[in-house]
Amino acid sequence: MAMKEDRIKEIEKSAEEIVEAFIRASEGLPSLEETYYAHLKFNVMRPDKRPSQDRGDFRERFLLIAPARDESGNLKVEAAKWVK
Amino acid sequence: MKVLIGFEVHQQLMTNQKLFCECPTNYQDVAPNTNICPICTGMPGSKPLPPNEQATNSAIEIALMLDCKVIANQPIFIQRKHYDYPDLPNGYQRTSLPIAKDGFLEGVRIREVHLEEDPGQYDPTAGVVDFNRCGVPLVEIVTEPDMHSPEEARKFLRRLVRVLEYSGKVRPEAGGAMRVDTNISIEGGGRVEVKNINSVKGAYRAIKFELIRQKSKLERGEQVIRETRAFLESQKITVPMRVKELEEDYRYIPDPDIYPIIIDQSQIERIRAKMVEAPHIREKRLMEQYGIGMESASVIASERELADLFEAVASEVDPKFAATWFRTKLKKVLNYMKIRAAEIKFTKMQLVDLLKMITNKEITPEQGEIVLRIMAKKPEDPRKLISRLKIVPLSEKEIESAINEAINENKKAVEDYLKGREEALNFLAGNVMKITGGKADPREIIKKLRKRLDLIQRGESPK
Amino acid sequence: MGEVTREKLESLKSGALSIVENVHRSLDRIEKMNRDINAFIEINKDALARAEKIEKKIKHGGKAGKLCGLTIGVKSNINVMGLRATCASRTLEDYVSTYNADVIKRILSEDAIIIGMNNMDEFACGSSGETSAFGPTDNPAALGHIPGGSSSGSAAAVAAGMCDLSLGTDTGGSIRNPASHCGIVGLKPTYGLVPRQGLIDLAMSLDQIGPLSPDVYGAALLLEVIAGRNENECITLDVDKISYTDGIDEGVEGVRIGTSSKFRELTDPAVMEVIDKAIARLEGLGAEIVEVDLPNLEKGLTSYYLIVSVEFFSATRKFDGRKYGKRIEDVCGDEVLRRILRGGLISKKEYRGKYYQRALQVRTLIRRELMDALKRVDVIAGPTVPKLPHRLGTKLTPMEIYAYDYLTIPANLAGICGGVVKAGEVKGIPVGLQIQGPMLGEKDVLRVMRAFEASR
Repeated sequence: MAMKEDRIKEIEKSAEEIVEAFIRASEGLPSLEETYYAHLKFNVMRPDKRPSQDRGDFRERFLLIAPARDESGNLKVEAAKWVK
Repeated sequence: MKVLIGFEVHQQLMTNQKLFCECPTNYQDVAPNTNICPICTGMPGSKPLPPNEQATNSAIEIALMLDCKVIANQPIFIQRKHYDYPDLPNGYQRTSLPIAKDGFLEGVRIREVHLEEDPGQYDPTAGVVDFNRCGVPLVEIVTEPDMHSPEEARKFLRRLVRVLEYSGKVRPEAGGAMRVDTNISIEGGGRVEVKNINSVKGAYRAIKFELIRQKSKLERGEQVIRETRAFLESQKITVPMRVKELEEDYRYIPDPDIYPIIIDQSQIERIRAKMVEAPHIREKRLMEQYGIGMESASVIASERELADLFEAVASEVDPKFAATWFRTKLKKVLNYMKIRAAEIKFTKMQLVDLLKMITNKEITPEQGEIVLRIMAKKPEDPRKLISRLKIVPLSEKEIESAINEAINENKKAVEDYLKGREEALNFLAGNVMKITGGKADPREIIKKLRKRLDLIQRGESPK
Repeated sequence: MGEVTREKLESLKSGALSIVENVHRSLDRIEKMNRDINAFIEINKDALARAEKIEKKIKHGGKAGKLCGLTIGVKSNINVMGLRATCASRTLEDYVSTYNADVIKRILSEDAIIIGMNNMDEFACGSSGETSAFGPTDNPAALGHIPGGSSSGSAAAVAAGMCDLSLGTDTGGSIRNPASHCGIVGLKPTYGLVPRQGLIDLAMSLDQIGPLSPDVYGAALLLEVIAGRNENECITLDVDKISYTDGIDEGVEGVRIGTSSKFRELTDPAVMEVIDKAIARLEGLGAEIVEVDLPNLEKGLTSYYLIVSVEFFSATRKFDGRKYGKRIEDVCGDEVLRRILRGGLISKKEYRGKYYQRALQVRTLIRRELMDALKRVDVIAGPTVPKLPHRLGTKLTPMEIYAYDYLTIPANLAGICGGVVKAGEVKGIPVGLQIQGPMLGEKDVLRVMRAFEASR
């Protein structure tokens, strides 16, 4: 366990190196607007047509790769801790 | 102590497809994990489809009905809100920045309205998840903490539900279609958020419980810590949710896979022109346009279809008379028969004919009410009905004698009622109805019966 | 030079080479070499059956698709239904894809044969090919050296002749870098030109799927099949499908090619010598060489890694082990964890403005510089990587690995296109010439690459 934590600490530290390098590199560079999208467009929308009828065998594939499922097809996960 | 209560109401929008994929939205009609695809189950590599246009327009319409200012001519980003929970397949929820702000609904300020996707259905006790619902579009309405008591809060929620139903753009109230988070704080204590509320009644109970819990803490000199709690419907209590991830930073970023939306003024005007009149606005207009009182207007506007029927009728008969009739007789019949105005089967013309006959004094108001009750069960031309059934209203004497008969012939039922069993009263009332051939007003009967039975209990005889 | 794909395709179309035989050749080569090269994580058991089906279809008069029986390797971060998209990680080592990525739909509809899933750096977080949970990949063109990354297996497979073409992905150079190290052709398309539906994200606003090929024609052909608007996602360029093979042999007479002194500043002299010769050759072929200014080019590196970390953190939240695979933080390698932790930190409310948003501002600067330069010239030519690929097993710090990306990152930040073609060698180690073009400038880029290739 301790080794795992050490590893995480070391990785965290090395993770920050480039952040510090960034501060140095960006010093003095102008404040421009942020580029979130490589090529920006607006209002790309989709009309609300008839829903998909045939989704192939996706449901089977989904249930096949699920770590745990019940007979009805629900995905089994952990119970909430606050329920007790 | 000053109490501040606010809401975040999540309501599903009525669309054919989900918000970011083409899956059907009828999640309650199918087996678990049927209406799913790689997008709404968070399969590795899946990307959202362009957002559902209908959902956006519906959200704008609802915002306008709540008197909000729609954010126009500005990019509205869809953001990723990150937190870890089993019902969130991507580990983040897609939620838009506000599409509208600064609204108002009967004493409560609406802070903002935005669009988001519904998570899946997680049963925290059984530990199972169904993604059928995941990705259904939601409109979220956030209020300012302008309510100060559980009663005020309940009243507001009911009004809000009415607005949403009026719009015709939301999924009808059925098992989880509306979800409410409430925040409650008492002066001197921290702000507590309560989640997992699915009804107006639940909200009322949750708030009541919280106020008691918080007040008693403060009275004991303890601190009310700022936290998130869950409402447990079955036990009517709130418990700490203590989910670390829910309290952590959501790390919002604009979703790089979805372009921002810009709403322009002409789009807003188009929606405004076609939109349903909001109930509180309709109420006011009914009062002004038809010269009717607030009580009548309030009853008539309680359901959009009822108001529609009233306005259709009010063009043919005296509106004030019609309004009184709607408030007293029609509403009574609907309540007794447990049907919504949307389910009324008789036509506007049939109702108009009936009302005309009353105003022309062709029949008495009491006769009219009998006909209405029959029409509500099976619609028919009122004139034909009257001549066929030879409707004559009962006299006081006839009612009293029917009651006597029922009491004398059902001594066991009388005993049961006097022992405290309420159902016996309904049984006796049914008997009276049978004796009078259905011509009496059931509510009147119950009232009179109860009075008689109380006299019997006190050992008195009727006057 | 550069006729391999064209010739192979002709013989497949004419029937001189049977499609089934072509698949056998790939499988045999993989059998012989994969143990040492480790370019493939999984082989497609259905490849032969599919080959038979396509042969039958053509025999009965069916039209042969554009890729007609060519064997294609697919990087393991692209969903191929029925095969495992492991991303070379323990997180998804058992994840059998439940659907086909849109690029896969497109290549299958043109009769390509997917031969297997290529090895890569874990979750595309690398530039060397050494961080796969399934072992490192070797460089067939320079054995004992890294093949580059993160599309390490895709490049090595093509370089070793294990398959005809392959699909890789490029976020900061992950197609171009290994193409350069392995001496083959690679292309990063304009952002948004090729669909990303089905690509497991590294950084959503930077990732692009692209072709790797022994020659320019093959890259152009594969690009042609996968490119074009996709109604099945939001972020797609609204452009028709066009031909990239038409006009590819037009030569460079009169083409304006930009170069920058900044490249020399950042690059190993031995590498730069090869590039200088290459550019001189282009000038000899009729191109006009123009000096362009890229004053802040190297500033892109650090801002790139901040942006990638934030987007990668977001992208990996779905790997919680509940629906498939395992929880990523429990089983991933160091570099993947490094980016998750970094991303999680700088996307917090209190740091977002200082780091993430600031990095996005620097992105705007780099983007403007590059796009301004490309207004003055048709393409920009220069080195792909600043230094030669190191020997496998050499211990490098994260910053030293990141340094490979200096020259490839700018194209990703700007969303423009860039291709790599072999320019020469230094002591037997391949050096790739990078040609960058403006948004949707692939045809010019390919034309320049082809002219150079044909003259070698």
